[in-house]
Amino acid sequence: MRIVVCVKQIIDPELPASQFRIDASSNRQRPNGHPLVISPYDENALEVALRLKEKAGGTVAVVSAGEPSAISALRKGLAMGADEAALISDPALDGSDAFGLAAALARGIQKLGIPDLVLCGCESGDWADRTVGPILAEALNIPCVSFVAQVDGEDGRLRMRRVVEEGYEVWEGAPPLLLTILSHESNIPRYPKVKDIMTASRRSIPTWSAADLGVEAGDIGKAAIRTEVQQLTLPSRESRCELMDGEPAQQVTTLITKLRERKAI
Amino acid sequence: MDLGLSPRQEMFRDMVRDFAEKEVAPRAAAVDAEARFPAQTIRMMGELGLMGVAIPEEYGGAGGDMICYVIAIEEISRACASTGVIMSINNSMVCDLIHKFGDERQKRRFLIPLARGEQLGCFCLSEPDAGSDSGNLRVTATAEGDHFVLNGVKNFITNGREADIAIVFATVDRQLKHKGISALVVEKGTPGFQVLKEENKLGIRGSSTCQLLFEQCRVPRENLLGEIGEGFRIAMVSLDGGRIGIAAQAVGIARAALEASLQYARGRVQFGRPIAAFQAIQFLLADMAIRIDAARLLTYRAASLRDGGVPCTRESSMAKLSASEAAMWVTTKAIQIYGGYGYITDYPVERHFRDAKVTEIYEGTSEIQRLVIAGHLLG
Ligand SMILES: Cc1cc2nc3c(=O)[nH]c(=O)nc-3n(C[C@H](O)[C@H](O)[C@H](O)COP(=O)(O)OP(=O)(O)OC[C@H]3O[C@@H](n4cnc5c(N)ncnc54)[C@H](O)[C@@H]3O)c2cc1C
Ligand SMILES: Cc1cc2nc3c(=O)[nH]c(=O)nc-3n(C[C@H](O)[C@H](O)[C@H](O)COP(=O)(O)OP(=O)(O)OC[C@H]3O[C@@H](n4cnc5c(N)ncnc54)[C@H](O)[C@@H]3O)c2cc1C
Repeated sequence: MRIVVCVKQIIDPELPASQFRIDASSNRQRPNGHPLVISPYDENALEVALRLKEKAGGTVAVVSAGEPSAISALRKGLAMGADEAALISDPALDGSDAFGLAAALARGIQKLGIPDLVLCGCESGDWADRTVGPILAEALNIPCVSFVAQVDGEDGRLRMRRVVEEGYEVWEGAPPLLLTILSHESNIPRYPKVKDIMTASRRSIPTWSAADLGVEAGDIGKAAIRTEVQQLTLPSRESRCELMDGEPAQQVTTLITKLRERKAI
Repeated sequence: MDLGLSPRQEMFRDMVRDFAEKEVAPRAAAVDAEARFPAQTIRMMGELGLMGVAIPEEYGGAGGDMICYVIAIEEISRACASTGVIMSINNSMVCDLIHKFGDERQKRRFLIPLARGEQLGCFCLSEPDAGSDSGNLRVTATAEGDHFVLNGVKNFITNGREADIAIVFATVDRQLKHKGISALVVEKGTPGFQVLKEENKLGIRGSSTCQLLFEQCRVPRENLLGEIGEGFRIAMVSLDGGRIGIAAQAVGIARAALEASLQYARGRVQFGRPIAAFQAIQFLLADMAIRIDAARLLTYRAASLRDGGVPCTRESSMAKLSASEAAMWVTTKAIQIYGGYGYITDYPVERHFRDAKVTEIYEGTSEIQRLVIAGHLLG
């Protein structure tokens, strides 16, 4: 099976909120030299791909659209066990929404060779739009199953556990498919081994521009947006401390009542 | 002059940091409190390639270099100094030693499983009466046919309880002083080789420190590393590398203490302000950061010299001395910043403080490092 995993490089979401800065002119987060990582669910998606490969053979490629810095995210993908990597990077991508990104990613994936399976994270760790996967499936003209926690494959058919509000659904389907992946105990991302880091660091990774992919200027960037971020602000958090009076039993009852009132439980 | 890390080294650091934060740090307090050897962590580290970082792949290692090695020791020790020293001994005092001084057969047989982390090693130089004066050994190796027979006691041996392989320094003739010292590989289970006692310690409590007894212990001659009488040189060259590892361990401990202090100083309010607003606290934080950076730079210098195959005895002593004293100073001040809470085992800084102390003692005390450095200065 040929699998392509879409990985997005983002500013480390573990960064304390106090260090988060917004650039008001572009309505985006300021990089400020913060550490960059692979968006968390994308690592789960890569883990799913690697396990499918280990079980049934095939190849795994990682592809990313973004700044040249995203090479390091792709390199980590190679170190974790992907066979191939490609970066789509072009100043023309600036200003893109999910539609523009999906258009570019679709062409990149086609250039890698039509895969049996495309895996995305269920949502990015920064914008959390949850849109790129389904829009990309549309662009590639393949079915999409979203919020998949587990995948098993036999004889060219895949069984997928899809997480829904009160439990999960089991879906079956034959490739080609696009899945968006949730974290699950079966897809905890592996640590790359030191020797694989050494090997991956020697690999050269192609960077494709919009022109290399034959993407029209009108399909990406500002020109192609269908959604626009109007305003981006930091949530203001207030913390207040309340002490419960009375005996422990009374305190517990009060606490439960208060938590219920706030719909915390 | 480029003091930055390469993308490869950065990717390596990110992996080790991630691993240390998720797998090592959460267990560190229990490893310390229960003096528990972190067996599962060490196994995982072996699988990742962290037990033979700078050993070539053909000998089971990860194919990295000394810079990678010190990055790894710093990150792991920042999470847990016990795990740091277990790893450090295996990497630099055992794997690197066999790689440098072993013959091809010894490398195939002993180095490969050690570098893969399938086996663990220990380094046995110190004796009850030979600590700083490590050329004055009493453990004897008597040639008998195609064997050496070992007799005597080794002291304070890290990994002594768990080790599958021991590098043992013994004298073939006490009259020859350090020129009689020879290095032998002794396998666990060899008759006449046993753990006599395990020490109870102030810090690095998750790593075992043992007294080992050799009693008519017959070791095949083919386990001799290098030549008869070459053992002392082997120990000293290996300690040059080992001290760089201890320097990195100390930097890691100090960094953990600084990071904890920064977090605490921002949150702790006295006189209506976070204590970080008081200049007295700010100055401590600034001094901590400077000492840590200075120590790390000395450590990187020594590591990069060793990577280049350049003799680095002086530089590795400087790194070890500077880093261990920085660690002791920084962890002491960290407790000060925490006030009473720093003295309580609920917070991590008292552990960092206890862990830091030994870096001024093992692999050559601070006094011995100063003697080495002064010796180089005076020629
Ligand atoms: C190059 C670039 C320029 C941008 N410019 C602007 C801008 O000017 N103004 C603005 O408001 N926003 C900008 N954005 C943000 C963009 O609008 C959002 O990234 C987009 O709406 C998708 O939302 P999301 O990132 O939350 O992805 P989601 O839909 O939550 O992502 C789901 C999954 O899709 C895949 N995926 C998403 N993005 C990528 C990617 N880049 N590469 C590979 N896989 C991916 C991953 O598998 C991810 O887990 C830009 C993003 C990029 C990458
Ligand atoms: C936790 C732990 C783990 C260890 N692990 C190992 C191990 O794995 N393998 C191993 O071989 N050893 C190990 N050691 C032993 C360690 O290397 C020695 O403890 C150290 O070298 C000091 O020796 P000593 O304890 O005998 O002290 P001594 O040599 O007796 O020193 C006592 C004091 O005198 C000072 N002193 C001694 N000589 C001089 C001098 N010439 N000038 C000035 N001052 C001097 C010392 O600096 C020190 O302050 C370990 C020790 C500890 C505590």
